[in-house]
Amino acid sequence: MNAKALVAAASAALLLALPLLGVDDYYLHLLIMAGIFFLLSAGMNLLLAAGQLNLGHTAFFGIGAYASGLLALHFGLSPVFALPAAALVSAVVGWLLGMVTLRLRGAYFVLVTVGFAEVIRLVATNWTELTQGPMGLAGVPPFNLGTERFTLTGKRDFYYFMLSLAGATLWVTARLLRSRVGRALRAVRENESLAESSGISAYRHTMLAMVVSCLLAGAAGGFYAHYITFLSPELFGFQNTVTMAVMVVAGGQGTVLGPAVGALVFTFVPELLRMAAFYRMLLYGAILLLVVMFMPKGLVFYLRRLLPAGVPAFAEPAPDSALFEAGAAAPVAGPALSVRDVTVRFGGLAAVDGLSLDLGRGEILALIGPNGAGKSTAFNVVTGFQAPDAGRVRFGDGDITAQPPYRIAERGLVRMFQRTSLFPEAAVLENVLTACHRLARTGLGDVLLMTRSHRLEEHRLEERARALLAFVGLGHKSGEPARSLSCGEQRLLGLAIALAPAPSVLLLDEPAAGLNAVETERLMRLIEEIRARGLSVLLVEHDMKLVMGMCDRVVVLNYGLKIAEGTPAEIQRHAEVIRAYLGSGDALARP
Amino acid sequence: MIAELVQHLVNGLILGGGYALMGIGLTLIFGIMRVVNFAHGELFMLGAFFLYTLFSLWGVNFFAACLLAVAGVALVGAVVERLILRRLRDQPIEIPMLAMVALSVIIQNAAILVWDPSPKTIRHPFSPVPLTLGPIHVVAIRVFAGAVAVALIAGAHLFIQKTRLGRAMRATFQDTDMARLTGVDVDRIYMFTFGFGAALAGASGALLGAVFWVYPAMGDLAALKSFAVVIMGGLGNFLGAIVGGLLLGVAESLGAGYISSGYKDAIGFVLIILLLVWRPQGLFGAKGVQR
Repeated sequence: MNAKALVAAASAALLLALPLLGVDDYYLHLLIMAGIFFLLSAGMNLLLAAGQLNLGHTAFFGIGAYASGLLALHFGLSPVFALPAAALVSAVVGWLLGMVTLRLRGAYFVLVTVGFAEVIRLVATNWTELTQGPMGLAGVPPFNLGTERFTLTGKRDFYYFMLSLAGATLWVTARLLRSRVGRALRAVRENESLAESSGISAYRHTMLAMVVSCLLAGAAGGFYAHYITFLSPELFGFQNTVTMAVMVVAGGQGTVLGPAVGALVFTFVPELLRMAAFYRMLLYGAILLLVVMFMPKGLVFYLRRLLPAGVPAFAEPAPDSALFEAGAAAPVAGPALSVRDVTVRFGGLAAVDGLSLDLGRGEILALIGPNGAGKSTAFNVVTGFQAPDAGRVRFGDGDITAQPPYRIAERGLVRMFQRTSLFPEAAVLENVLTACHRLARTGLGDVLLMTRSHRLEEHRLEERARALLAFVGLGHKSGEPARSLSCGEQRLLGLAIALAPAPSVLLLDEPAAGLNAVETERLMRLIEEIRARGLSVLLVEHDMKLVMGMCDRVVVLNYGLKIAEGTPAEIQRHAEVIRAYLGSGDALARP
Repeated sequence: MIAELVQHLVNGLILGGGYALMGIGLTLIFGIMRVVNFAHGELFMLGAFFLYTLFSLWGVNFFAACLLAVAGVALVGAVVERLILRRLRDQPIEIPMLAMVALSVIIQNAAILVWDPSPKTIRHPFSPVPLTLGPIHVVAIRVFAGAVAVALIAGAHLFIQKTRLGRAMRATFQDTDMARLTGVDVDRIYMFTFGFGAALAGASGALLGAVFWVYPAMGDLAALKSFAVVIMGGLGNFLGAIVGGLLLGVAESLGAGYISSGYKDAIGFVLIILLLVWRPQGLFGAKGVQR
């Protein structure tokens, strides 16, 4: 048993035994409140994993509390049913708000959620017929199962009930954060474009996180309603959300245990500060500021350092033969990818003007042209990042024109970006594993219950990721953060990421840019190898050695127009191409 | 009927001038520093309390007190940038944001200790008799507040467009690294920007504080309003903040007059949520703005 498991077991045993050790009711109450705030901050943490900070989270706490309280008061519903109903109500409101706001990013999302909570607070204050306004809602019934025997009376009963809720929350958030869902959320935060082009829908995943976090907040609210039995619009106050956010950040955002540690510490700290009387809130603010400024990584990060380091990352040797399946080639005949009469205008300027091209199966096709010729725009159209003003794009047997990038990736057409081709903060292996997303077949239920099929699948995907890293020659770097790789290594990792979703067509945007001759040579061999496995490759490249040395055909763009198409040899003799490159014939010199 | 409408419009525009001042400060700080200033409401409150202290307690001339109050808030802003935000520049956006939330807790509670929580009025030297223009009545202090807001907005605009420092600010806004390469002292620009934004918030607080009441929590609602203003106008968009501010002032004034005063303070965010449903890509083409 390692140190981590030992600490976990000891903490769990302590939490279970506490009420039996004759702990004062006052402390049990604080622990219960810490539990409520754990449910809240754990949800906030989940959505923040995708980079979205919900500073209106307390609205969902309040909605859950009022929903459960009102259902019990006005409809005589037993709290046993009112609490789950309240959690659902809160989740549905979260879903509705998400539909409107999850397209926003960063500060916009934060500010709109702040405003949402304020609107809900005003509703709770002014809709006096329903909520009794600022007077508050008194006399919410405490928990009972219908019979006197199952009524929660003492603090101890509530404590154990909360402990089980908190345990369930810990399980759910751990399963989500430590599975492909968490990888997808972190991918959206770190590099949304790359996530989308690896087949991860940013919207769906942030929505999942939003709904789960609102469900948890609603449950916390329902519990609160039947524990405190008095509700007021204060529940919707900004201060509550601030407390949650501080717990997340002080505990350790993105970690599973961070919100739990944060909730415990920041429930007890304000209580200790009661001694400071008038200066309490001032000191509280100062502590918040110091924590945010000097411990932005959170307590969990520092606590972990106290534990002896676990077994160093997998010692198993990298797979020697880099076997990875390419995407299943569509059974229909014809080109792998076909672009017809695509036009993109920016203002009056046609960046791409009536472009048509076909990428044959197993072909390596280069798209070249001077800077500003429209190559990148053409790429963006094919991969769904730019809707064309006219024209169609067909892939295999389907029309993919203007589909969202993740759908196109799901079909097996994947691109590698020019510069931002990785998730910088994640480890190298996790980078590739993240991009394997679309190959996962098990459902959310499997993820949450950690079924055998899910574990097998995770294992299989990890094997695949390792094989891909071995293939590009980065097997020995799998534990390092991606940002620490050299430029050449980052490009290779980008290639592994692009291959991870098992594409049948690969689009490479200037793969050799910034590479030295040796690295370019290696890259060329890899691309050849990829083609040998049945993939078709379309690449934009300025490195003429690469273009002329390995491509089957070349398409030349100039000012958005296709001016030539043919084999490298034909292109090198093409008069207009030579003119387009400022008459410098040597740019196309033989390798 | 018409007179009532015009009366609401005039009141709304004066209020909107204050919101616009807040919004411009917030939007400049975000645009240049990528910081969402959650302490903006407290800087607003400090403007009002500095004026109250200087004028009502110490008897400084009203107009001089206004100037000194704004200068004082600017100084607070510059110190905050130097001591807090400068250290957090490389952190993800939520870290400086939460630091500013913590700062707002500190400033507000310090204000409670220094000035006590009861609301105060500033006995400004303007006549309480309303100025009358046909059926429209406006008290002089409101006219003063509106005029000063307009002058400050115009002044800020000219400053940013015409001066060397303003040009350096715009350069930093567009591309910090490029600005640094061309010799702009980015540290100084950041400090100045936060001080300038703080001064605008302080000015707004001093003006509205003289019109209404002064109390430590007065910044809470003002901050929320200014968030609404900058979302409507687009974060980092100067003209957007002006339009958003005036729009919100008028919408609130009309809403309070014709719909319900209880929900007056929700109008801004209800507008935003409706706009988002109608234009999901964001307002004023906000899609391009990422964290």
